[in-house]
Amino acid sequence: MEQFIEQLKAQIIEALNFEDMTPTDIDTDAPLFGEGLGLDSIDALELIMLLDREYGIKLADPKAGKAIFASVRTMAEYIQANRTK
Amino acid sequence: MRIAITGIGVVSAIGLNCTETLQALLDERSGIAAMRFLGSVHTELPVGEVALSDAELKARCGIAQEEPMPRTSLLGLLAAREAMTMAGRECDTFLSGTTVGGMDLTEQHWQDYEQGLATENIRLHEAGESTKAIAKHLSPFSFIATPSTACSSALNAIVLGANMLRTGQARAVLAGGAESLSRFHLNGFNTLMILDHQPCRPFDATRAGLNLGEGAGYLVMEPEEDAVARGAKILGYVSGYANTCDAYHQTASSENGEGAFLAMQGALRMAGLRPADIGYVNAHGTATPNNDLSESAALRRLFGETLPAISSTKAFTGHTTSASGGLEAVICVLAMNKGFIPANLHWSQGAEGLIQPVPHTLHLSLRHILCNSFGFGGNESSLVISADPIELSEVKKTAMNERICVQIEDDTTVATLVSSAEARRMTPQMRRIVAAARQAMQESGITQPDAIICATQWGCMLQSMRFLQDMMDSNEQQLKPTPFIQSTHNTIASFIAILTGNHGYNATYSQGKDSKACALMDIETQMSLGQIRSALVLEFDEQVEVWDQVLQLIGDRTENIARVTVYTKNE
Repeated sequence: MEQFIEQLKAQIIEALNFEDMTPTDIDTDAPLFGEGLGLDSIDALELIMLLDREYGIKLADPKAGKAIFASVRTMAEYIQANRTK
Repeated sequence: MRIAITGIGVVSAIGLNCTETLQALLDERSGIAAMRFLGSVHTELPVGEVALSDAELKARCGIAQEEPMPRTSLLGLLAAREAMTMAGRECDTFLSGTTVGGMDLTEQHWQDYEQGLATENIRLHEAGESTKAIAKHLSPFSFIATPSTACSSALNAIVLGANMLRTGQARAVLAGGAESLSRFHLNGFNTLMILDHQPCRPFDATRAGLNLGEGAGYLVMEPEEDAVARGAKILGYVSGYANTCDAYHQTASSENGEGAFLAMQGALRMAGLRPADIGYVNAHGTATPNNDLSESAALRRLFGETLPAISSTKAFTGHTTSASGGLEAVICVLAMNKGFIPANLHWSQGAEGLIQPVPHTLHLSLRHILCNSFGFGGNESSLVISADPIELSEVKKTAMNERICVQIEDDTTVATLVSSAEARRMTPQMRRIVAAARQAMQESGITQPDAIICATQWGCMLQSMRFLQDMMDSNEQQLKPTPFIQSTHNTIASFIAILTGNHGYNATYSQGKDSKACALMDIETQMSLGQIRSALVLEFDEQVEVWDQVLQLIGDRTENIARVTVYTKNE
């Protein structure tokens, strides 16, 4: 799981264009939105696209992302449980 | 000056002219249906298409089948001709908003370009060229401009036209906008997850997004005295207007609808009207969860508990994006002359925070109508159309000063002016213009200019081409939203407003090498009228390799421009 979390962090950094950031800069359990990384609604759409592209998970309702993207850990757990590729 | 409306023209999914449009509105007949002409793979998305193919539109407009003409221009020509014929006069000024321009032709010919085949369509990609393609089939104009503020483009064309009449820079104006559907923006809106798979339901508790539509709408405006002198029928008056910026987010509207509130309030103030004088509001009402909630908040702030009749006509036509302000201004004129409130189709259930619209056609006499048009980047505009004439101040042109001009080419300096957090979604050229804007504001001491105006030939071409190429390569699958969000021409001007919290006038012009001249015309008229005292002009274009490969087929290329100039009124 920890290895997968590192990989996911790298994918998040790339998808959201955090040029100066490395996976170690992201706290696995810190909130992704609001405080923490301070992501916004455009980032939420980019993360939904990341789930689709990399893991074959399709979310029809953008509001569903809120719980999934609470932190990197919740996101990783959701992917492991629902991935189709 | 009293600004008379003496001609209107319209085309959309509910009709090819004013007569058909009026009948569909009265019959409550929506134009939203399954896709017929667009050719996108996303056939699951209903759209509001104009009922003619490109070939049929050309035949109807009397244009040779082999003449390259974007669908945007064909729609524009059809509606513009109707407006001019109705007015029975020529105009000296043509102002037509669009964002899509000739994107449809670029999509159709993309493979030709990749194979190195030149076509006559390449130059028509430009928003400004698609406007010129309409103009050349009308009559000679002495001034042409293409406002491109995303979904408020057409209303901003009307705003500029009214300002030009009041300063004597125009004697008769044809103003509005045109926009065809394109696979580009259908896919773009789809990445934002704001397209409903069912017919849209503005202001309804169950609303789940918008349906895209296409069309065009224009007004002919002239001084009342001219209209009276030539015995023209006056259909109504442009009696107030305002353009503001929500300065909140690139795609979302603020919770309290600040920009929308300021636009409506400004339009009423210019007209000298109280909220209670407004008989009908044609709302922007796209049916996205966010727009309708934010617009409702703004309407409540302005009107309090006694709301006027309100409806969104987008369940009829779909959201015709850059054309919507022109199309809906025409609908308002039709409603005022016939005496009815158009229905807000498909509304059945209210929810907390949402205004309750008029669900079915309501026949009543209307004296003053407010028309809202909002766009990405928080570009918000409102227009008041009146049955009774309202006197607006008129003045002669006054001079202005160029205070300072800044360009920063050194990226190390750019990095000191734009933080990496701010820069994370920006292209290098976007960073340079934001840095130049910051420095220009600092050096001139004008940290909150009254107007922010961008002049750009190609718009935000790097993000635009990224999205287009991804869309072509992936056959419209799994596209990233950010390049689309930043593809609109108004990205730069609205971005500066968001970064500086500037709610003032905000506009973007795309008219080839004349884009800056359009921006300066806008500023001069507003300074003369005392609407603004300072303005920031952003000249922006960016070098894009993939587009240069296309342009080299016609011996042209893109160039990097990021120049910011501060102007102040000469007092």
